[in-house]
Amino acid sequence: MIPLLILSPLILLAALGAVWKARPVHAALLLALSLALVAVLYLTIGADFIGLVQFMVYVGAVAILIVFSLLITRPSDEAEEIQRRPRSMVTGLICTLPVLAVLLIALVKGDPLTLPAADAPPLSIARLGELLFTTHAPAVLAVGVLLTAVMIGAALFARDIEKPKSNQPEK
Amino acid sequence: MNPLALLLTLSSLLFALGLLAVLTRRNAILILVGIELMLNAANINFIAFWRYGPPDPELTGPMFVLFSIAIAAAEAAVGLAIILMVFRHTRSTDLNKLDSLHG
Repeated sequence: MIPLLILSPLILLAALGAVWKARPVHAALLLALSLALVAVLYLTIGADFIGLVQFMVYVGAVAILIVFSLLITRPSDEAEEIQRRPRSMVTGLICTLPVLAVLLIALVKGDPLTLPAADAPPLSIARLGELLFTTHAPAVLAVGVLLTAVMIGAALFARDIEKPKSNQPEK
Repeated sequence: MNPLALLLTLSSLLFALGLLAVLTRRNAILILVGIELMLNAANINFIAFWRYGPPDPELTGPMFVLFSIAIAAAEAAVGLAIILMVFRHTRSTDLNKLDSLHG
């Protein structure tokens, strides 16, 4: 419980920075920090494998991907980009606060909170692997197909599209 | 406050922050940052209910999170590829400038 009490505000602070910081690279790095802290949270409550996967996939892949995209799409007028205020913050808050209120009301009124905190055994990787390749084998295959399609699709999207006119003068 | 309530509150706040980022950011890549925050909030819920809910030998929560992480990675890759393509056309990732289908 004590690690949770320490980690939760840190996660929220990092996420708040990711939402608030004007400089895009700072926001992306704070997102990476927030995701890494969530991984630590998983580790502390006994979901070791999920924490490690979170660390590798989110911090190692997604956050770095985002930082690299920011580097590639650097605007020519970065100073002006930073100066500009975000799109209407008021409208954003008007739309966000009801959602948060509904979530918190559901949290306060919900039944599951009255459950006794059962002490689940720590996540067994052997059991996880067994389930993954027996019960959930079709889903694993589907995710494999999905990731292959995504890899091909991303490569197709991101490749340099030659201009239609530039290939005419050849020969 | 029990740990489950704490984790669910954390996840609600994280979701709201992600939603705020999606609604207020101008840079398309930072909107993706908000989406990642919201996905993480959902994952925290799954783990919290698995850990502090009734015992579940089928490990439904962690299993769901594994697939969710895989699909989130795929979504980020495709999203960023699309943003790169748009950037190549318009030299900008500012969504306020992307108001024409002609590119």
